Amino acid sequence: METKTLDTLGLKCPQPILKVATLVPQMNPGDILEVLADCESFPKDIKAWAEKTGKTLLFCNTDADGKHTAQIQF
Amino acid sequence: MAKVAITVNGAEPSNVFPPFILGSSAVASGDELTIFFCPGGAPAMVKGEIEKMEVKGLPNLLELYEGVQNLGGKVYVCELALEAKDLKKEDLRDGIEIIGATTFMNEIKDATITFSF
Repeated sequence: METKTLDTLGLKCPQPILKVATLVPQMNPGDILEVLADCESFPKDIKAWAEKTGKTLLFCNTDADGKHTAQIQF
Repeated sequence: MAKVAITVNGAEPSNVFPPFILGSSAVASGDELTIFFCPGGAPAMVKGEIEKMEVKGLPNLLELYEGVQNLGGKVYVCELALEAKDLKKEDLRDGIEIIGATTFMNEIKDATITFSF
């Protein structure tokens, strides 16, 4: 199991999700992808993406500056 | 998963951003996607055109276009656009296929989501 980090800070919807999707082929079952984002719609979008693609969203937290950190398990 | 079909009949940013924003979101989550540029939209698929489209507050259009291509979305230009807009096949971006209306309609006959811009 491996944990990878994807920094999408500054990117606007839907680019963070697009970047997550392009990493899918590199992820193995059990791997964790940590995504950093500051796009407003990211928390809802990553939840929708995980539900639709059958991945597990471990958490998505937002700090005081509006920066989101999400972890997805593959 | 959904099967999404989008037609585009204008070459302004207001016509070209929505298909790639919605379309890239669709392919990113596993939907099938077909975008069909009618003659009115075809000039936007000439090499170098989307690179010129920058709109305040909107994402980078080229990255969305490449995302659609890399994740298996299909982008077509209507064959009628060639004569109607004085375009040659080689003027169009790599990865674009020219097809006719019948082929497009056959391909999207079981589409579950459709949009026109």
